[in-house]
Amino acid sequence: MEALLTRYLDPVAPLNLVAYQATGGYRGLTAAFDLKPEKIIDIVEAANLRGRGGAGFPCGLKWRLRGADAPSPRYLICNLDESEPGTFKDRYLLYGSPHQIIEAIIVSAFALQVERAFIFVRGEYAKGGNALNQAIQEAETAGLLGTNIGGSGFNLQIEAHLSGGRYICGEETAQINAIEGRRPNPRPKIPRPSTHGLWGQPTTSNNVETLINVPHILLNGADWFRDLGVNGGCGSKLFCVSGKVQHPGLFELPCGTPARELIFEYAGGLDEGRTLLGFLPGGASTAFLLPEHLDVPMDFDPMAEAGSRLGTGSIIVLDDATCPVKVTLNLMRFFARESCGFCTPCRDGLPYLVQILTSISSGEGQADDLELLDELSTTIASQSFCAFAPGAVMPLVSSLKCFHEHYEHHVTAGHCRFDKTVKDKT
Amino acid sequence: MNNSLKELQENLLHLPPTDPKRRAAAIPAMQALQAELGCLDDAAIERIAQITGLSTTEAEELATFYSLIYRRPVGRHIVRICDSVCCSMRGADQLLIAAEKYIRTPLGTVTPNGALTVLPGICLGLCDKAPAALVDGEALGPLNNVSLEALLQRILQEN
Repeated sequence: MEALLTRYLDPVAPLNLVAYQATGGYRGLTAAFDLKPEKIIDIVEAANLRGRGGAGFPCGLKWRLRGADAPSPRYLICNLDESEPGTFKDRYLLYGSPHQIIEAIIVSAFALQVERAFIFVRGEYAKGGNALNQAIQEAETAGLLGTNIGGSGFNLQIEAHLSGGRYICGEETAQINAIEGRRPNPRPKIPRPSTHGLWGQPTTSNNVETLINVPHILLNGADWFRDLGVNGGCGSKLFCVSGKVQHPGLFELPCGTPARELIFEYAGGLDEGRTLLGFLPGGASTAFLLPEHLDVPMDFDPMAEAGSRLGTGSIIVLDDATCPVKVTLNLMRFFARESCGFCTPCRDGLPYLVQILTSISSGEGQADDLELLDELSTTIASQSFCAFAPGAVMPLVSSLKCFHEHYEHHVTAGHCRFDKTVKDKT
Repeated sequence: MNNSLKELQENLLHLPPTDPKRRAAAIPAMQALQAELGCLDDAAIERIAQITGLSTTEAEELATFYSLIYRRPVGRHIVRICDSVCCSMRGADQLLIAAEKYIRTPLGTVTPNGALTVLPGICLGLCDKAPAALVDGEALGPLNNVSLEALLQRILQEN
């Protein structure tokens, strides 16, 4: 497949405005200004562009639901707060081609008739954020931002907000609080951000990868975009592959490409002599899948049918020399540490899970601990305030199922079969 | 982003304390002040409260929420070693132990010469370079014990 989203990327020396325009950049903007805003939303909806940040919500529908008559001021947030373990696609976009992001935001803001947009940049990506700010200034100087852009009568101001650094800031409503300078706890989902978002005004949030598709869709059409996918998927997708593979990396492939192709063809397969134990298909907050799922299309619905999620499309590979209990413990430590602390089930429940898992991992676990983990996970997920805890327990619950014998072995033998330093109970 | 503290003050101090722009400047102001001071001490938190119109408690609440806002002193250089899943699978746990042993200073504290703080960090978005670290914001990886020790040695000797 021809590179689409990665076409302009150069992480070493990202294209400046002139170079980006010389290679075809900002043509999507010209195409957008030839259309009426509602027509752009029609096209994006027809293209079946689904959110690339993890939830997979249809972008066109999200834009339509906000309503053309939403009161002003309205806001657009480009979510570049990538913190999901295993995910590094947005880093490539930020460091590789900031003008691609700016063009996508102008086009999307025009469709939504928004005059102020924010890019929420992950704190650890500060250097990329500096380059993005330079690109914003270049665009302002060239008249691509500001008032009456390109004679269209459309005005837009873009501001980059560099995060102070917390995973929860990637959550839509927590991010709104963060931009407002409030403690970034997630907000209640009603009223929705589409009506009561930033400073109580209509706000639309999209992941950066979602947005950069939009100029291409306008240039080439909805049918063209849908046909880019394979196995029922629509469009192009940025996939990350990491963990126990020979060549971890970012790969742009048709949405719907199976994990087998990604792991064994593009990421170079596993180390010599190793076999696949399992994988997380979409980052840390998705459910583990097994080798039998290697041919499931990496697309939203097929992944859900297989019991997991496409998430961010970031595969984390475990080989047969990796202890899945230890990996799961690491994931749960991450979530326990990153809980915002607002609601009790998440704040206190996740450390409790870590405590039990630590005990199992070190060979001190009891037989009924496994059932307790399962039961606690259900309680924590159902009783917590936002989607963080349900996502956090997904790898644990699936790990208990997929790798049950490994947990059993830790409990009965009193040691990890991969760690001979732990003494046998017997 | 990239706002200097002086600019922020000029833009904000004439606004009423309840103006949303003042609160929204809390994190940029903390980042700007931290760039000057290294970390935010109590006086810095008071100053943030003054600029943003927040109470001292609100400013403190925000500062302590974020992992990249430092309320305790840090070294002139900061090495953040990722300890999340992909880096852990590729040896990050051993790197953290090795780093602590090499600098003979507990993680999160400052070496006696004031040069360095090594911190464990959540996934840095560098899983394709695992095990990875951010060295004063620059990505580095994949690391091993030898390359990490060479890096730490260079930083310690520079100062």
